[in-house]
Amino acid sequence: MRVLLVTLKKELMSYFFSPVAYVIAVLFYLFRGFEISRLAWTYEQFPRAVDGFTTGYVFVASTNFMIVLVPPILTMRCFAEEKRTGSLEVLLTAPVRDVEIVLGKWLAALGLFAALWLPTALLLWVLTWPSFLNGPLPVGPAFASYVGLTMLGAMLLAVGCFTSSLTDNQLLASLSAMLFNIALLAVPNLAQQRFADVAEENHTVRVLLEQVNVFDHLQNWFTRGLIDTSHLVFYASGAAFFLFLTVKSLESRKWR
Amino acid sequence: MIRVDNLVKRFGQTTAVAGISFAVAKGEVVGFLGPNGAGKTTTLRVLTCFHPATSGKAQVAGYDVFEQPVEARRHLGYLPENVPIYGDLRVEEYLHYRAALKGVPRRQRRAAVAMAMERADVLDVRRKLVAHVSRGYRQRVGLADALVARPPILVLDEPTTGLDPIQRRRMKALVRELAQEHTILFSSHILSEVQDVSTRILVIHQGTLRADGTPEALLRQSRGRRLVVTAALPEAELRALLGGLDGVLADAVPPAAARSGPVAEGDRFATVELPVAENADPRDAAFAALRARGAAVRELQLRLPTLEEFFLQVTEGVEAVPAEEHQPA
Repeated sequence: MRVLLVTLKKELMSYFFSPVAYVIAVLFYLFRGFEISRLAWTYEQFPRAVDGFTTGYVFVASTNFMIVLVPPILTMRCFAEEKRTGSLEVLLTAPVRDVEIVLGKWLAALGLFAALWLPTALLLWVLTWPSFLNGPLPVGPAFASYVGLTMLGAMLLAVGCFTSSLTDNQLLASLSAMLFNIALLAVPNLAQQRFADVAEENHTVRVLLEQVNVFDHLQNWFTRGLIDTSHLVFYASGAAFFLFLTVKSLESRKWR
Repeated sequence: MIRVDNLVKRFGQTTAVAGISFAVAKGEVVGFLGPNGAGKTTTLRVLTCFHPATSGKAQVAGYDVFEQPVEARRHLGYLPENVPIYGDLRVEEYLHYRAALKGVPRRQRRAAVAMAMERADVLDVRRKLVAHVSRGYRQRVGLADALVARPPILVLDEPTTGLDPIQRRRMKALVRELAQEHTILFSSHILSEVQDVSTRILVIHQGTLRADGTPEALLRQSRGRRLVVTAALPEAELRALLGGLDGVLADAVPPAAARSGPVAEGDRFATVELPVAENADPRDAAFAALRARGAAVRELQLRLPTLEEFFLQVTEGVEAVPAEEHQPA
């Protein structure tokens, strides 16, 4: 636990001292601010019920940027950089367990990821101004959406940690994590479309396709304000799986 | 404090360490000597639990490095060969981070870092970013890191590589100073460094232990005593005269470095260097013989083998010297 906290603190410090996080933040807020102002404009011009508001709020392009591109960028240096400079040897010859280091680095990335999302809540507050929405802001769904996004991020950051532990090249680590993310998000969706007719007839197939759809949990549950344990468990176990692979990948130096 | 039994490490088809055994007792400073690629770093990495051995056992402070790696590492400070440290931290911050990582209690951390910085002599760069300090300082920051949790054992992998002669001398002095409190195992491919600092030398070559003993003991095992004479006689005559003396091995192959021949073109003096039997000292007899011939003598010397020559003998496979049994106290 001590090692985990020390690693977490050190990694967070490194993130805040490096310009990468700030560049991402600036891009993200500019992009999102623009999108949300357009969203607000449509609500102002064409007044409608606020029911579907959070789904619209979550599923704008900058969300894709944040879940497909940003996690790999945040995690690419986690292990690849340490491998390249050789500091992994210094790190892992201290009295530490590999799993504590992995968890510390992943939690730091998750902390930063959540911190990047947090200021966007201000945009929601702006939208509560009476001229935009015809009704109170759906606080519950908005909160649930943030929980869902963080959980999805947790899983995708674990993917990034894993690819970073496979190579000593940061670029390769981030690109392969992006590919991985796209595959994780798109393949189940495509499968659902492709096998729609089978799913129509067969209940098991339908449930299975729904369950493995990484995006579906966010889209159909969290953004509608439903925080259900099964969906939390889905993302958490996805994260745990990739973190487990990361630990094994670090340990693989011992088998070679 | 350190015990290695029949350690073997293979990387695929390559055998880096082929079954070595040794022990390091408390308070010893052991130099781990061998040419590049001999298996030094691999052995040290096994001891620091960075990678496990293919077979064999290794213990640090009584803990098995495979079964209790965290405990073993807690008792050991390690300075790797290329000290890679995070460039984005200041020296002091880096050492604080390392102290915390190694479990130095919060209240003692400041004092531990101050002590380590003082011992490793990095106080004047404490506010600098690690990326900006020179190679010599970086090496010392690495050493401060190894010291910060006050481990009883220090493992230093080539601590003087890349340092200039002055830094090198300081590093050696520092190792000697640290020997008062720590058991030290350090590797080097430079003999003089090992000789100056260590109480015992292990010579490793091609993954096997070729010699183990104090510098003096190794010298005693070494062969190669020579009689060197420069006198006013033609070389052949001088050689014949000295070759007949008791204890001079005229037929033995002289060492590769042996001098012989006229001192200079047209000079009446010549030098010969002849192998001498163990425990023989033919200097007096040689002088008497030369005086009887009326030849002027410029040089008459019994040259003892140096550790350097011993090292070359062992590592070039000229004569494999069996490792001396060493029992730790």
